[in-house]
Amino acid sequence: MKNSIRQSIRTGVTFGIVHIFFILIAFNSMISVLIAKLSGIKNPGEIPAPKFYIAFTLLMGLWIGIAALNKKHSLSVGKKLLLSFTTSLTTGLMAGVLDVLLAIILVNKVFIRDFLTVLSFDFIKATLFGMTPVMGTIVTVLCFVAAGVAGGALTILNRTEAVQKFWKNIISWFKKQIEKIQYLSRGKYHLFWQIGGISLLALVAILLPMQWGSYWNYVFGTVGLYVILGLGLNIIVGLSGQLVLGYIAFFAIGAYTMALLNAPEPHNLMWGFWPALLLGVLLSALSGLLLGLPIMRLRGDYLAIVTLGFGEIIRILLKSDVLTNFTGGPRGIQNIKGPMFFGIPFNSEVDFVYLIFAGVILAGFVYNRLKQSRTGRAWLSIREDETVARATGVDTIKYKLLALAIGAAFAGLAGGIYASRNQFTGPDEHALMASINVLSLIIVGGMGNIPGTILGAFTLKGLPEILREFANFRLLAFGALLVFMMLSRPDGLIPSSRPKYDPPTEPAPEIDKKEATHGK
Amino acid sequence: MENSIIQVQGVSKIFGGLTAVNNVDLEVSKGSIYSIIGPNGAGKTTLFNCISGFYIPEHGTVLFQGEALNGRSTDAICSLGLSRTYQNIRLFSNLTAIENVMVGQHPRLRENWMDAVLNTKRCRQEEKISVAEGYKWLEFVGLSEFANAISGSLPYGAQRRLEIARALSSNPVLLLLDEPTAGMNPQETLEMTALIRSLRDQFNITIILIEHDMHVVMGISDQIAVLDFGNKIAEGKPAEIQKNERVIEAYLGPGGAALANKYRRKKAS
Repeated sequence: MKNSIRQSIRTGVTFGIVHIFFILIAFNSMISVLIAKLSGIKNPGEIPAPKFYIAFTLLMGLWIGIAALNKKHSLSVGKKLLLSFTTSLTTGLMAGVLDVLLAIILVNKVFIRDFLTVLSFDFIKATLFGMTPVMGTIVTVLCFVAAGVAGGALTILNRTEAVQKFWKNIISWFKKQIEKIQYLSRGKYHLFWQIGGISLLALVAILLPMQWGSYWNYVFGTVGLYVILGLGLNIIVGLSGQLVLGYIAFFAIGAYTMALLNAPEPHNLMWGFWPALLLGVLLSALSGLLLGLPIMRLRGDYLAIVTLGFGEIIRILLKSDVLTNFTGGPRGIQNIKGPMFFGIPFNSEVDFVYLIFAGVILAGFVYNRLKQSRTGRAWLSIREDETVARATGVDTIKYKLLALAIGAAFAGLAGGIYASRNQFTGPDEHALMASINVLSLIIVGGMGNIPGTILGAFTLKGLPEILREFANFRLLAFGALLVFMMLSRPDGLIPSSRPKYDPPTEPAPEIDKKEATHGK
Repeated sequence: MENSIIQVQGVSKIFGGLTAVNNVDLEVSKGSIYSIIGPNGAGKTTLFNCISGFYIPEHGTVLFQGEALNGRSTDAICSLGLSRTYQNIRLFSNLTAIENVMVGQHPRLRENWMDAVLNTKRCRQEEKISVAEGYKWLEFVGLSEFANAISGSLPYGAQRRLEIARALSSNPVLLLLDEPTAGMNPQETLEMTALIRSLRDQFNITIILIEHDMHVVMGISDQIAVLDFGNKIAEGKPAEIQKNERVIEAYLGPGGAALANKYRRKKAS
C-alpha cells in the first residue's frame, strides 16, 4: 500500500508538470474558449468567463483521477479512492504553487511577457478564476481534489460488472449495425449501392461548393490538392517503396510551368490553361525520370538524402538571382491567368473546386487501376525486397523509374491547378516543409490506400483550418498527433488491406504460346 | 554436351583474400536432379549466386541452354527460364500468398501500365490468367486454401513451399533450390522430397539443389557434386559419393574414412 501511495504521488507530480506546461502555453485558455463555444456562447471574446476555466481544471482533475487508478485492479474501493485523492492532491498542490507564483507576478506587476509571451495580466487573472489570489489558489486545489476523487469513483463504477456489460452490449450493437451495412453493400445489392453512393457523392460534390462560401471552397480545394499530391507520393513511397523527400519539387515544376506560360510577367506567353497544365504534367514526369536515373542504385536513407537535395536545388534555383529574368526570382510570379472551358471563363472559386475534384477523381482512378495490376504488384515486390523482386524477373530499374515518373506527374497536375487557382506562385511555397507535409499525410492516413490518403489530407490540411483556435498550437498538435499515431496506429488511420482473389470458376484462357518467351 | 542444360565452366568467385568458389566446373543434364553438398562455408550458396546472377564471378563462364549468362542482370536471367529459392526464406512477406505467386509470373506477362490504366483486353485477360495460374501453383504445393493469407504469417513449412511456388510460376526450365528442407521436421521433409521429385516428373524441370540432409540428397539425386573450401572435390552418383574417401574426409576430418569404415562394419554386423 505504501508503495502504491508513493507511486500515486509520482503520477501526481507528472501531471503537475503537464498542468504547468499547459498553463505556460495557455492551453487552458484555448480549451476554455472551446468549451464556451460548445456550450453555445457566441464570440466569447479574448478571454472567456472564469467558470470555463474552472471547467478546464475540473476536466484535468477527472483525467488525473482516472489515470491514478490505471493498472490498479486488486485494491479495495476505499484504497482506490485514497489513491486518486493523493494523486490529485499532489497535482493540485503543484498547481497551487504555480498559482501563488502567478499571483506574485500579478500583485507586483512584474512584466515577464518577454520570456513567456502568454502570461499577460488578464490571462493570470483568468487563470486565478477572477478571484483574489488566495481564493483562486484554494479553489484550484479544491477543484483538483474534488474532480480527482470523482474521477476515481467513476473509474471504480466503470469497472463494475454491470457497467462493463452495458458497454459490451453497446459495442456489439454497433458491430451488428456495421455488419448489416456491409451485408447490404455486398451481394446482389452491390451494384445498387455502388451507383447510389456514387451519384449521391457526385450530387454533394456539385451542390456543396455552391453553398458553403469561398472560405470552405478554399479549404477543401487545398485538401483536394493535397490528396492528389498524397496519391502521387503514395505511388513512389507507398507502392514502390522509394523514400523520396524532395517530392514538392515536382509540384513546383508543374506550378512554374503554369505560371511562366500564363502570366504577363516575365514572358507574357499566354498559352492558356490546358496546354500549360499538360506540359506541366509532362515536364514533371520527365524530371521524375531525370531524377530517377542517378538515384537508381540508392536505397533507404541515402535515397532520402539525395532527393532532399534535389528538392532544395529546385527551390534555390527558382529563387536565385541568376534566373530572376526567367523565373521571377524570389518575388515569384503574379497574375496567372485562370482557365477557360470551351470559351467560358472557368475561374471562380467554385469552378476551381470542381476542377480539383475532377483532378482527385482522375488521380484516384489511375492510382486504383495501377495498384491492382501487374505493374502495381511489381512495385509492391520492389518495396518488399528489391533484390528478390529483380531475381523474380521484375526489371526493377524500369519500374522504379515508372513509379517516379507517374508520381511526379500527379504532383505536376496538382502544381498546375494550384498556381492557376492562387494566381501566384513563388519559390517559398515549395520549401522542404511542404514535402514533409505530404509525406506525413500519407503516413498518418495509412500508406498505400486512397481512403487513408484522403483522411490524412483532411487531418493535416483541413483540421487546422477547421480548428482555427488551435492555430498557435498547430505544430504542437501536429507533433503530438504524429507521436500518438505512431504509438497507437503504426500503420496509419486506415491501414492498407490486401486485395482478395477468388479461385477461378472457369478454366483460364491459355497463355499465348508466342508470348511465352522460354521453356523450349 | 548436347543434353546438358547448364554448364558451369571454371567459375571462381573471390571476396577480398578469400576464394569462395575456386575454378568449379559443373554440367547438369536436362531433366535431372543435381545436388550440391559440402560442409558449411564450402561455397555452395556462392556458386548458386554466381549462376543466378547475384554475383559476377571473377573467372569462368556459365552457359545456360547454350547462352552465356555473364554480366546479365538477375531479371534477365530469370526471364530466360532460371529461377531460384533462398537459403533463408525471402518472400514478399506483406503480400498475400497468391500475390507472391502472381509477382512470380511477371516475366511471362506482357501487360504494361497503360494497359492497366485503360483496362484493355490484354490487361483483363492476363489478370485472369495470372489468378488462375497462381491458384494452379498454390494447389500444386498444397497452399490454395491460404491463397489470401499474408505470406509472412504462414507457418514455416508453408513459406518454404510458397517460395517454390513463386519460383515455379515463371515457368522455369531450371530451378535452383537452396536448402529446401532446412528446419523441417521428418514428415515435412518427406513431403518436400516428394514435391521436388514430382516437379521433375510432372513438369520436366531440371533441379539443382543445395541440401544438408543426406537422406534427401541420396534419395532423390541423379548426380551429386561435393564442394569443400570452394573446390569441387568429387562428382558422381549417390553411391559413388558415399564411398568417396575425400568426401568423407571433408566432412569428418583426416582419418575420417577409417572411422566411417569401422562404423559401417558395426552397422552391418
